[in-house]
Amino acid sequence: MRNSPPPSPVSYIGERLRGADARASITALFESLRPDLLRFAQWLARDRTIAEDIVQEALLRAWRSRDALKEAGAARAWLLTIVRREHARLYERKRLELVSLDEAAEIPDNAPAAGADGELAMLRYAIMKLPLEYREPLVLQVVGGFSTEEIAHELELTATAVLTRLFRARHKLRALCGTTALPDGGAPREEPA
Amino acid sequence: MTCDEARLAIGGDPASLTSELEEHLRGCAGCAGFRAEMLRLDAALRRAFEEPPDIRVAGARRAPLVRWRQWALAASVVVATLGAVGVWLLRPTDTLASEVVAHVRGEPQSWLATHNVSAAAIDHALKSSGIGLDVDSDKIMYAKSCWFRGHYVPHLVLQTAHGPATVLLLRHEHVKARDPFHESGMTGVIVPAGDGSIAVLERGGQGVDELAGELRQEVHWLPEPAPQR
Repeated sequence: MRNSPPPSPVSYIGERLRGADARASITALFESLRPDLLRFAQWLARDRTIAEDIVQEALLRAWRSRDALKEAGAARAWLLTIVRREHARLYERKRLELVSLDEAAEIPDNAPAAGADGELAMLRYAIMKLPLEYREPLVLQVVGGFSTEEIAHELELTATAVLTRLFRARHKLRALCGTTALPDGGAPREEPA
Repeated sequence: MTCDEARLAIGGDPASLTSELEEHLRGCAGCAGFRAEMLRLDAALRRAFEEPPDIRVAGARRAPLVRWRQWALAASVVVATLGAVGVWLLRPTDTLASEVVAHVRGEPQSWLATHNVSAAAIDHALKSSGIGLDVDSDKIMYAKSCWFRGHYVPHLVLQTAHGPATVLLLRHEHVKARDPFHESGMTGVIVPAGDGSIAVLERGGQGVDELAGELRQEVHWLPEPAPQR
């Protein structure tokens, strides 16, 4: 992980993971990470209800294979990975049809029109409009704190392909937010995965 | 490192700074500016990602899940309906006893009858339900055809040695065994009788079993008359 996970309460629980109350500790650990997981899932699924389903299913899976978790410090990355896979599985299972957010999304009525908050709202909207192939590595990197190599491993891509997707994601965000184009006018050609 | 390579590395991960990239940035103002811009964008991205997306996604992407939920809802309605039907079909006879008592309480004047009922009235109350009863009409002080649990049933009050006793002849209710009850100051019993059952209630309750036993011999479930319009 490039970004270190929150030091508390994870590290505190980690000291107790092998204790007699391991079950309670893991439950507390999972619960402490749930808001993070839900936020992560929402950015992937773009729907709170679906995200809640994903997190619920992911936590069930995590609980069943909790013996695989050797240290609490690794729990966040481990759970985020399970959430991502659950999200991918959901789309595979339900065959959810992807549609363009240009057609499907509505900007919230209360979105500020201008100012710093307005720009932030526009940025959120722009992130939502990103195709999943660009949004997913970006969410993994910025929200999940995964390194390029970890993202590449998770998405079964080369590191260069991940960098290319991330580059393009940022390029699109700049374009969608109405900022200036890249100095050289374009994104690099995508490397084969 | 070329500018293309530098920008791919910067755009892919602005926070990462290898020695090779650092060296390139020292000599390339364009890429350095690009990195500064990407770092600003990333700072904004981190703030944007802090809150979950506040957006409503409509249309086809959501439809399959909604359909799935609709099926789940429909299934739960079916299960609930089957459960309710099951509960209704398997309802305990205690409920039947309670309903009998409630019905009798709804006709308090029936206990106060002091005159014999005409043979025609008795005949009407019984034949409306397709029931024959071999009982001395002099004993019957009240006879009415009452709507009870979806059917017309004879509601009779018989004068006995222990005082008035209410009788409901329930051809559509089936009890497996004698079911005594005591409720609202009334003591009673429901007994199986052929294909139906008989409910007998008294204020005192000393003679309900005796009367119920007699009535079991005297009642005849005749072919049910066609429903009247």
